[in-house]
Amino acid sequence: MLNYIIRRLLFLPIVLVAVTFFVFLTTAFLSPYQQLATHVKDPDELRRYAGNLDALVTKYGLDQPFYVRYWNWLKNLVRGDLGWSESANMSVVEALTKRLPATIELALFAVIPVIMGGVILGQTAAMNHNKPLDHGIRIFAIVGWSLPDFVFGLLFLMYFYGALRWFPPGRLSVWADQIVMSSSFVRYTGMNTIDAILNGEWQVFLDALRHLVGPVITLAYLWWAFILRITRSSMLDVLNKDHVRTARAKGLPERKVVTRHVRRNALIPVATVAGSMVIGLLGGVVIVETVFDFKGVGMLIAQGAQQLDYTLVLGTTLFFGLLMVLGNLVVDILYAVIDPRVRLE
Amino acid sequence: MAMVFKKLLRNPVSLLGLVLLLGFVLVAIFAPVIAPTPERYKDDPYRIPRYGWRAAPSPPSPEHPLGLTHQQHDILYGLVWGTRTAFRVGITVTAATCLIGVIVGSVSGYIGGRFDEIVMRIADVFMSFPFLIAAIVVTTIWGRGLTQVMAAMIVFRWAGYARLMRGSVLQVKEEEFIAAARAAGVSDAKILMRHIIPNTIYPTLIQASMNIGSIVVSVASLSFLGFGAPEGYADWGQMISYARNWILGTPDNPLAYWYAVVYPGLAIVLFVLAWNLIGDAFRDIMDPKIQG
Repeated sequence: MLNYIIRRLLFLPIVLVAVTFFVFLTTAFLSPYQQLATHVKDPDELRRYAGNLDALVTKYGLDQPFYVRYWNWLKNLVRGDLGWSESANMSVVEALTKRLPATIELALFAVIPVIMGGVILGQTAAMNHNKPLDHGIRIFAIVGWSLPDFVFGLLFLMYFYGALRWFPPGRLSVWADQIVMSSSFVRYTGMNTIDAILNGEWQVFLDALRHLVGPVITLAYLWWAFILRITRSSMLDVLNKDHVRTARAKGLPERKVVTRHVRRNALIPVATVAGSMVIGLLGGVVIVETVFDFKGVGMLIAQGAQQLDYTLVLGTTLFFGLLMVLGNLVVDILYAVIDPRVRLE
Repeated sequence: MAMVFKKLLRNPVSLLGLVLLLGFVLVAIFAPVIAPTPERYKDDPYRIPRYGWRAAPSPPSPEHPLGLTHQQHDILYGLVWGTRTAFRVGITVTAATCLIGVIVGSVSGYIGGRFDEIVMRIADVFMSFPFLIAAIVVTTIWGRGLTQVMAAMIVFRWAGYARLMRGSVLQVKEEEFIAAARAAGVSDAKILMRHIIPNTIYPTLIQASMNIGSIVVSVASLSFLGFGAPEGYADWGQMISYARNWILGTPDNPLAYWYAVVYPGLAIVLFVLAWNLIGDAFRDIMDPKIQG
């Protein structure tokens, strides 16, 4: 097992270099003046050089050949310098660190319901094969899969916020925000729910939770549909296998047959799609955060792109690329844990 | 193929899908009849006509059966002409990605060896990037517009088909009839075109038919975020983004503007549902093993 993880970790730098290369490649479509925006550290510098931008182009080596520029850019990257974001009016790294806790919080609250909900629904459908419950779940899956997240999110807001006033958009209500911003409230993680617990502010915790309901459901239902379909068909497959028949024949109660002998095997195909799920969730975060005005990294990139802030968009993309590589790594390792055959390859 | 179609007609699920799809095709074809372009918009029928200057939507009325959305854009007109946009986007992107995927995948699988290895690793990179974010980057650099969004889709979506195609080519490549053709002196290009591709293309085509819905959703999401269709263009995603400003309604009636959200949402859902229903049944027919 350790061997497998080490092999995967050794592969990591190669993938990372590939990701940085592809992100840098996109800047090749920009003119040197546009590229300048991705290098200048703060707006003052642009003002000082106004009317003499060519000097700046030379200063940052933008007239150099591609591989030199790439190398310089990588050096900045390693130093943790992603440039100055015009639209956020701070450095890209600062903007990312500010917005990141919100997205992590959202992801943490979404991932467990997504996987648990999908597996349970799929299992229920398979156990009730061709009964009304199975058909009901199948209909849910296909309708859920056809309902775009931004449509669902708006309908959710219209009813549960507009009409019922239950789940407002944003991350916190105004009164809760004031408590969080006050000097007596310690920001340990930047995640509202966790910080509220650590500070013993239960009202704030409940308020933060209330703001998470909509985004989490919107992120989750699409993947419920996806995971339940895979779980269902692989459970059906495994249920007909010989070892399951043996388990039943020796008089094991049905519940134990399912938890011990069926589910573990049936989860293997689910693990294989977990990688694409990680990718999909990263994309989904952009939409969900925008719809629910949940100020995280996804909303940051969407707004940056609307204002043509290349620096911010490229920096965030790079960051998403990193996240995706790490996510895939975790998924691969989990996969090896579930399916011992993978390790031997 | 005719048999498959007969089965699709007999299955109630796919029949529903086919009927829905037929409805959308008819709406797209007869768009000028269902929602005639007003005289002053004749030069550009894809521009949604506006009936006034008020920002807030107006409820359905005899002249505007589905109401007017943000800035008095006609909802029915936008949806009807938006059907054409949806078909154009879905079919163009699917055809292009499928074509690239089939060519790259079959050549890569047929040649094999190190070439195949390199091509597949490149495909991995394209497949493992969050597509929506990639498209956002592309539109930031190339500018906003449906063409740019479609180009971004094509760049990032061919890899899935290439991988699928390569897998089937690897299986068929070792068959005896290919060895026979080679022994008879048939050229590699001809073997690929005549013997390999016709025998391996079906799984890719099925996958493609199932993806049309998701492509339309992706393009709509980009329009929703403001990177796709230009302002005022008949596009479902854009109509939803219009509705976004009006989900709160009025103080005495919180659901006052429901029609601005529900009708465009319904159009997208039904369109995608149609493709998904057909794709689902199609898959069951082609691969009875996972049926049930």
